[in-house]
Amino acid sequence: MIQLHNVSLAYQQDASALNNITLKIGKGEFIFLTGPSGAGKTSLLRLLYGALTPNRGEVLIDGQNISHLTASQIPMLRRSIGVVFQDFKLLQNRSVFENVAITLEVQGWGRVDIGKKTMHILKQMGIESKYNFVTQRLSGGEQQRVALARALVNDPKILLADEPTGNLDDANKNQILNIFKEANIRGTTVIVATHDRRLIEQSHKRLVTLNKGEIVEQMEKEADSADQAL
Amino acid sequence: MNKWKKKQTAPIKHFKRPTLAGDGIGGRAWFFLSRAVTNIRQNIFVNIVTIGTITLALLIVSLFLLVFVNLESAAENWSERVQVTVYFDKDLSLQDQAVFRKKISAISGVSRVNYVTRDEALRRFKSRLRGQETLLEGVRAEVLPTSFEIALKRTHRDTAAVENFVSALKRIPGISEVQYGEEWVRRFNAFLNFMRLLGALLGGFLVIAVIFIVSNTIKLTIYSRRDELEVMSLVGATRFFIQAPFLLEGLIQGVAGSALSVVLLFGLYEGFLQNAGSFLTFNPAASGLCFLPQEYIAGLLLAGAVLGFIGSLTSLKRFITV
Repeated sequence: MIQLHNVSLAYQQDASALNNITLKIGKGEFIFLTGPSGAGKTSLLRLLYGALTPNRGEVLIDGQNISHLTASQIPMLRRSIGVVFQDFKLLQNRSVFENVAITLEVQGWGRVDIGKKTMHILKQMGIESKYNFVTQRLSGGEQQRVALARALVNDPKILLADEPTGNLDDANKNQILNIFKEANIRGTTVIVATHDRRLIEQSHKRLVTLNKGEIVEQMEKEADSADQAL
Repeated sequence: MNKWKKKQTAPIKHFKRPTLAGDGIGGRAWFFLSRAVTNIRQNIFVNIVTIGTITLALLIVSLFLLVFVNLESAAENWSERVQVTVYFDKDLSLQDQAVFRKKISAISGVSRVNYVTRDEALRRFKSRLRGQETLLEGVRAEVLPTSFEIALKRTHRDTAAVENFVSALKRIPGISEVQYGEEWVRRFNAFLNFMRLLGALLGGFLVIAVIFIVSNTIKLTIYSRRDELEVMSLVGATRFFIQAPFLLEGLIQGVAGSALSVVLLFGLYEGFLQNAGSFLTFNPAASGLCFLPQEYIAGLLLAGAVLGFIGSLTSLKRFITV
């Protein structure tokens, strides 16, 4: 599904953000990226949704080299990828519904279907009663769920999340983790960048540790009991 | 009643959000247009600032144009005075008049030829010296010359053309004395050229300033909504899909701004006509002041639309990363 071959990335000539990364992520996998701040987690995610192109090496998604995508093909790639940001990136003056529906609107869905799908995902996230609220009036956990709804409403093949639980309390963290797991069960490949050790330990998933732009450790998925319990 | 009761979180004022109405160009165009209108309503303050800036900027330009157009038309009127006069010592017979008239009219640039008899010359002389008629005692029509007054076409009123015309006139046998207020024509044309140059320079500076101000205002408008551009591009919107509503918004702002500026200009113009008589020595309503011609108004509206559109386009280029 996702393959990185000897990928290097530098924002400036002297400092490299990623150095010779080789990584394979299979279809339907759930993987945590971890490491200290500045390790290259966010850069790696940005490579995957086409916001950056590597200086060296290849990034393949579904066999397609994304360095070779034209400007008009990048939107098509992004339609199959849901992205969740630490700062949510919600439109503050728009309602919850509008924030989620935008994913479907840009893809040209019809009005009725947009309404149905959006309300359905809001229901899954447990925030359907607030569909008409402006997002700035929501709590941090609720905003994160709106961001998740926006990323998942389209049933993406890949879900990328950058520090999705950074500002949340434990109850909210668990809810968010469960949403990731449910999406993963439905077939979405999930990649979560976090340095929240508890989240990683709780979920018993494959773990890739980055440091100074390099992969320093990889731990395969444990036979987990959490999945069974879900 | 508990006055500390928590204030209820009110749902937002709901704007009907447009969604793709249907397939085809018409459906998409309608979608983008309704989206642009909704965006304007949702960002009403920013839009008022932008439209206000465009209005004021274009009002300054159109005020300048109005002054320029009126000065030009005044200059046109003054240039009617560019007139060449051929003097004769004797009365011309009707036949001679016809012959000269024909020969003079054959020279290019003539718009009107008028024969002035001695009696007519005396009558004019008297009317110019009204109140001092005693000076004219003893002056009889016979001492005055007869003449042809020749008015020139608009295109033949500059210094060189008048001189060419006069030398052509002098080549006609029988014509020797020609006067045309040489110095006046030269000065008038120099003044006219200076005025046009000044107008072009000032107008040029104004237009550059307006483009700068308007494009920066639009840039700020779009900058304030860069999150929206970013989110749209992250969820897979094509460049066209992101741009179209913003461009339409720019177009609407431009047209609204320029239309408002024309309306304001008309108000100012009417106000001036109504009130200026009390402090000016002449009555502006009777002095032939005119409003901008239709093609200038159309030009202003078009300029507004182009400003809004191009301003948005160049700003969007900077903020869309797709």
